[in-house]
Amino acid sequence: MTKRNLLMTIAFILVAVLIPVFIKAPYQMHILILVIIWAIIGTSWNLLGGYAGQVSFGHAAFFGVGAYAAGLLTFHYGISPWWGMLLGPVAAAVVSLPIGVICFRLRGPYFALAMLALGEIFRIVFLNIEAVTNGAKGILIMPEITSKMIYYYIALGALGLTLAVTYLIVNSKIGYYLVSIREDQDAATSLGIPTTLYKNLALIPSAFFTGLAGAFYTNYVAFIDPNIVFNLTNVSVMVILVVMLGGVATTWGPTVGAGIYILLGEVFRTTLGSANVLIFGVLVCVIILFVPNGIVGELSMLKQLVSRRKASVSGGI
Amino acid sequence: MKKYRWQILAVLLVTFGVMLLASGCGGGGSADTVKVGVILPLTGDQAMFGTMEKNSFEMAYEELKAAGKTKVGDKEIQLLFEDDQGKQDVAKSATEKLVNQNKVAMLSGGYSSACSNVIAGSAQNMNMPFLVVTGSSDDITKSGWQYVFRGTAAPASKYTVSFWNMVDEGVVKLNNVALIVENTDFGKSSADGFRDDCAKRGINIVFDQSYEHGAIDFKPMLANMKSTNPDMIFAVSYVMDAAMIVKQMKELDFSTELFVGGGAGYTMPEFKDNSGDASEYIASTTLWVPNVAVPGAGEYFENYKNKYGKEPDYHGAQAYATMYVIADALSRANDFTSTEIQKALKETDVMTVMGPIKFEDWEGYTNQNKPNTYVVQWQKGELEVIWPEDVKSTDYVYPVPKWNER
Amino acid sequence: MELFGQTVICGILLGGMYSLIAIGMTLIMGVMKIINLAHGALVMVGMYVTYLCFTYLGIDPYIGMFIAMPVLFFIGCLIQKYMINRLVEVESILPENQVLLTVGIMLVLTEGIRVFFKSDYRSVITTYSSNTVFVGDMSINVAMLIGFFFAMLFTSLLHLFLTKTDLGKSIRATSQDRDAAVYMGVNSSKITMITFGIGSALAAAGGSLLLPLFYLFPDIGHLFTAKAFIITILGGMGSTMGAAIGGMILGIAESLGATYISMGYKDVVGLVIFILVLLFLPGGFRSLVKR
Repeated sequence: MTKRNLLMTIAFILVAVLIPVFIKAPYQMHILILVIIWAIIGTSWNLLGGYAGQVSFGHAAFFGVGAYAAGLLTFHYGISPWWGMLLGPVAAAVVSLPIGVICFRLRGPYFALAMLALGEIFRIVFLNIEAVTNGAKGILIMPEITSKMIYYYIALGALGLTLAVTYLIVNSKIGYYLVSIREDQDAATSLGIPTTLYKNLALIPSAFFTGLAGAFYTNYVAFIDPNIVFNLTNVSVMVILVVMLGGVATTWGPTVGAGIYILLGEVFRTTLGSANVLIFGVLVCVIILFVPNGIVGELSMLKQLVSRRKASVSGGI
Repeated sequence: MKKYRWQILAVLLVTFGVMLLASGCGGGGSADTVKVGVILPLTGDQAMFGTMEKNSFEMAYEELKAAGKTKVGDKEIQLLFEDDQGKQDVAKSATEKLVNQNKVAMLSGGYSSACSNVIAGSAQNMNMPFLVVTGSSDDITKSGWQYVFRGTAAPASKYTVSFWNMVDEGVVKLNNVALIVENTDFGKSSADGFRDDCAKRGINIVFDQSYEHGAIDFKPMLANMKSTNPDMIFAVSYVMDAAMIVKQMKELDFSTELFVGGGAGYTMPEFKDNSGDASEYIASTTLWVPNVAVPGAGEYFENYKNKYGKEPDYHGAQAYATMYVIADALSRANDFTSTEIQKALKETDVMTVMGPIKFEDWEGYTNQNKPNTYVVQWQKGELEVIWPEDVKSTDYVYPVPKWNER
Repeated sequence: MELFGQTVICGILLGGMYSLIAIGMTLIMGVMKIINLAHGALVMVGMYVTYLCFTYLGIDPYIGMFIAMPVLFFIGCLIQKYMINRLVEVESILPENQVLLTVGIMLVLTEGIRVFFKSDYRSVITTYSSNTVFVGDMSINVAMLIGFFFAMLFTSLLHLFLTKTDLGKSIRATSQDRDAAVYMGVNSSKITMITFGIGSALAAAGGSLLLPLFYLFPDIGHLFTAKAFIITILGGMGSTMGAAIGGMILGIAESLGATYISMGYKDVVGLVIFILVLLFLPGGFRSLVKR
């Protein structure tokens, strides 16, 4: 980490920690909490999709498993769903092991679609095994905490952990291996990198933190059902949107993307009436056409252009 | 292209920043209004119902205004609509915004069970009175939440009260029934209630499956069901699934003595339009029909049709009636704090197009109106009330003639 | 036995419908290697065009289809030329950012239609919509039979087009190796544009054929997108005949699942077959034929 980056990070942490001191309105806090939830999912997805290049269309599976781990604890055993914050990520990571075995035999669009299918299988199975999951009736919990500030700090802590672990992985040997797999898997294999192993090393933490976000979601929103937490369009695809808006394969990209996604969505929803999703869609098209590597991704590209270095893509070869 | 990229992005970001500021500042309200937040799905796949309910709210509001009833005390009632997109986290955002930003006096709305659950939970947490319009999950009024009221909607398992009355009176005789429901909160809750009622009366359920809404081909399931020979089918389906199911039953030449829908899809005008003559003699339980003997029901139906060019169904009537309940409660409230409004709602006893509305605690429910349910049947393309006996608009047809005998 | 026969017949007919929608997608995926999440939305737009023709001009859906197809061809070409091709030219870390663009397009199409048509459910009722013929005790829907016939017709025509015409051969060349095709003098941006157009037109055809027996609302596209993906992979990317077979296999699998397991699990059956094929037959059913 360069000195400037370190300073930036510390400044960011300070701002994030101090925000509740200045913004007390629960509505704004709520929006920030949603941003953080999406930032966690996005950062986790980015580890697998952005750095390792394994674009997953099934992250809803991990999100849902995490959410249900927390929900089912309360539903069946009356244990506080906060324990789900421990169980959820572990459950998601465990689930990711067989998924990795199955899906990493495939590449590119085939991998993406296999993940899509697995995500959908999870949704349908959770809908149908009513004895365990309460099916479509969902799980309703009564949250014990009403103060938004507590939720905010817990979420912020989870995001900090996610960012830190991702940062460490990416800047270790594993990270370089992952990027090499993304850029040319055959070349990586021929250099002796056990590609499947390293892809799994990206998938497991990715699933773990997505599960963490899921468990937090259950605690915060207090109601889950399979059609919500295993949703293909609203979770699996939206997380890709978040990461791509912010910047693929960048540390802060998913967080920025989550901010844009939630804030814009909310601003449009409250100001534009029933055309809000239409305008949001137009904006997605415009952003991706003009900044194809996401906001953060293009920032570093611009910097490189300014300093007249060779314009290559950040995080690339 | 590349040259302009950054300028455009900058313009976008600035616009976005300005809009954010604008939405953040929109909080302050004038002193002479009392705000009511209404959360409905106005986009997404439930938007059809959300829009119908919004229209009905506005229609009721205009009528009340014309009658001078929107002025409560020295304040004017103001409706604030928020879109929940049919997503529960958005519903939570909308709740937070209305309560904390717009400082509403009370909340209403809630179409899907999932969204209603979330709004209800948040409202209870913030001690904000919330009057549910449509959300029918049993849990909403079974959690002991004092600030959550449900007047115009019945708990899902209670939609069939009149139908069971018909069975108990010996009008309909059942031995073997088949049960198909959509895989949603409403469908599953209805199915649970139906199973209990069957068990109480010693009726066999010979076929019991759920399906996911949006299927093109129900024939495999129906053919399978046909082989179990049920006397009656009870089905809970979304509008168009309902039409697909009866159409395909006709194609399979699969007749039963009675087909009863559990509200939702089977009473909609779209159901009749899409299923054509296959809808004939299909019965359904429902909470409201335009030709029911309740004052104002027929007028509402006609006015809505004239104004919006489309026939409303019970969802619209729920919203319309809810607006009247709100106006009534606010006019009785001593002031517009949440405790006073909660008290006023609790004391509600008002006649609406949905029948009398009173919030009572019974059978484990809190602040739940005892629903009036009806059994209706499509006869010659019209939806006729066939039960209860005293309000029926025509006689029932039972057993229903077979497809090839019509 | 009768139940089994009914199930299989339903499956084959349904599969025929699915495959027509999937052929459009397999063509696009084969040539451009992108995951097009807007495909279902294109089906939906095609259905609305046919619906409009039926309601306002009284044109039968089977004729309206031939109006919807050119309209969608045009829309598809525009999308490809002004949006997706533009993105292909830019250097990016993950080519999957095109996926995001298609998400944006999907939102715009769905919500744009909603602005004009509201969220109301619409349907086209024709005199033959629920006509049936009986084979023994098994019922066959006439509209589905016609749809199946058209689906097979279009598949064969497309196959002929791809194998016999110059344009078709250029499309296949681009699909096999884009760079090599460019060296051979193929104008790849024109080819991708035409491919996307044809894919969209076929999506419209699939939607129009479903219209007499199904219904229509702005979000209906979601139902088709996932199915089309599954069939594309089952059949092997870029293979028209593969898509036809894949569609029927998916249809039969879903029907059997619905009859013998439960209607709730019918989609799981399709998805499990999908994953098995991915694992053990990565080239799809096409690779079986070639062996």
